[in-house]
Amino acid sequence: MTVRSGSTPTPSAGNGGKDGNGAELRALQAALAAEHAAVYGYGVVGGRVGHDRRTEAQEAYNAHRARRDRLVRAVRDLGGAPRAAAAGYALPFAVADPAAAVRLAAELERRIAGVYSDLVRAATGARRGDAAEALREAAVRAVRWSGESVAFPGLAERAAAGPGASMTPRG
Amino acid sequence: MPFPLPSRAAPGPRRRTLFASAAGAVLLVGCSGDPDGSGSGGRGVSAEDRARARAARDSERLAERYDAVGAAHPGLAERLRPLRAEVVRHARAFGGGVPASAASASASARVPGSASASEPVSTLPPSSAAGSPSGAPSARDTVPADPAAALAGLAAAEQKLADRRIAALAGLPGETARVLASVAAAGAAHAYLLTKSEPRPDARLGAGSGSGTEERE
Repeated sequence: MTVRSGSTPTPSAGNGGKDGNGAELRALQAALAAEHAAVYGYGVVGGRVGHDRRTEAQEAYNAHRARRDRLVRAVRDLGGAPRAAAAGYALPFAVADPAAAVRLAAELERRIAGVYSDLVRAATGARRGDAAEALREAAVRAVRWSGESVAFPGLAERAAAGPGASMTPRG
Repeated sequence: MPFPLPSRAAPGPRRRTLFASAAGAVLLVGCSGDPDGSGSGGRGVSAEDRARARAARDSERLAERYDAVGAAHPGLAERLRPLRAEVVRHARAFGGGVPASAASASASARVPGSASASEPVSTLPPSSAAGSPSGAPSARDTVPADPAAALAGLAAAEQKLADRRIAALAGLPGETARVLASVAAAGAAHAYLLTKSEPRPDARLGAGSGSGTEERE
């Protein structure tokens, strides 16, 4: 949807139409599922990451727990039943050393950025601003871990590479 | 095009007129090439068009600021290039565009006041112009002599713009809000990279931007 100079009218997708509430609830649940996975993932990161970055991992872990709890409240506010965490998650790759732990942390943040950009689109009012803040935090943490900037955090369709590996619930 | 400032004696309607003409200028930008209008607003320019025009303009200004810092501190140019390239992509995503590097050339060639629809900001009253991220147009004059301070200033501009963009999301159509939020997040990440203490030997600032091939339409 880069430029709309052509003759094609912009699609009016996702501007909170009739089922805006349903779309927002779905996006909230997706974000919640991703935060559950991130909390789990940072548990792994914390166990493998080097000493020099342990504090950073702990802070990120705490931040994702706080975001998860906010999302639980937001889902309830919209009358939904908050999605529960899976018992375990399949990691996108083996995390055997500090370097892999850093890669996993960066991957978690990229994935989180994606669900929050979707939530920005679906959400209204204060929840949209909240989602944008969460997206910003994830983007900053992602570059802290990876050292690499991306032009459009959370927008998979604009990423150079394909969608990254995902963390799938297990058990 | 210097408008007379509204005098204290005649406050209301005067100012409203100024805003109306400014909005009209933006309308020209937002709808050029889209003669039917976007159809999303009953009268005049839609909030989305205004937001997109402003987002493009803000990123263009920011790119100029990168240019100014790079010109004043050639030693930083390498570090700035990938970030600036992303800023340019942001401008394009909202329908703007910055020439490869000499962003100021076209701007200075324009005659002030010649109904330049592409520069609606110049018709805005000072109060709203003050919100622009780059501040003064002559950014180069204000680049600090100390490279670290220059980077900090650039980071502050990125951060400030990101804050403003996030604050402006309410009321925008979903997809535009999504892209603007992403661009704001990228700006915050830029601010971090700009102020990060040391450039690691192989710090890959924006290694992902090497593929600058897509992103057009």
